[in-house]
Amino acid sequence: MNENLFTSFSTPTLMGLPIIIMIIAFPALLYPTSNRLISNRIRTLQQYLINLILKQMMAIHSPKGRTWSLMLMSLIIFIASTNLLGLLPHTFTPTTQLSINLGLAIPLWAGAVILGFRYKFKTSVSHFLPQGTPILLIPMLIIIETISLFIQPMALAVRLTANITAGHLLMHLIGAATLALFSISTSTALITFIILLLLTMLEFAVALIQAYVFTLLVSLYLHDNT
Amino acid sequence: MPQLDTSPWLISILSMMFTLYLLMPIKISKILINNDINCYPSEITKSTNPWNNKWTKIYLPHSLPLH
Repeated sequence: MNENLFTSFSTPTLMGLPIIIMIIAFPALLYPTSNRLISNRIRTLQQYLINLILKQMMAIHSPKGRTWSLMLMSLIIFIASTNLLGLLPHTFTPTTQLSINLGLAIPLWAGAVILGFRYKFKTSVSHFLPQGTPILLIPMLIIIETISLFIQPMALAVRLTANITAGHLLMHLIGAATLALFSISTSTALITFIILLLLTMLEFAVALIQAYVFTLLVSLYLHDNT
Repeated sequence: MPQLDTSPWLISILSMMFTLYLLMPIKISKILINNDINCYPSEITKSTNPWNNKWTKIYLPHSLPLH
């Protein structure tokens, strides 16, 4: 039972060939580009959405922070489309892999921190000691703030992994339970309703992407401006 | 737990870096965000038809008496 449940999270290979490369690169195919001013509906809709997200995300940043716009847009579109494609049955979601999420979180967090330390050293170091702390608490508080700084990329990665994996696992479990209970028809209506509800709630995996990029954003903002 | 098996980690991370830093920025940077129509580069409106270079009598509309 346990082996059966977790096999959907193993990295897919086709006869020894890693097809995960194609699975990760596939969402990029869903965003067509053209040189025309006005193209078809899909491109117009995507342009509108990305424009909306861009304005929402980058409004709070200084011009120096806005140089990260392309990176953050690419990040949110990648995670959003990957998570949404993973809601289809029998698909593999790359963001369930801890490897990919760590690879997402650590370089971006490190870039923000290094940027802050390079251009605003005093401000970045001053974040380790909040204002108005009693003198006796200073050593302990510096240790706590350092730990909380270094745990940021781990929290980013594990948050995304755990949320998506847990959602997918629950869908598998409840789907299997519904299938098993199908012969006993009284509970099936309730179970399928729970599946529907869970799927709707899982659609808010997109909200998780929002949370991801917002957290990253706040970190960048904090290290860049203040 | 299959996520903790580190053998496919290298290829997963490499393919993710390839997608995230190469493919997606290419797609997103080609989106036209400028809302001022006069600021667009003129290459967009340039047509590549080879037969428009010279105005000939063929391009008169149907209503004119030349037909």
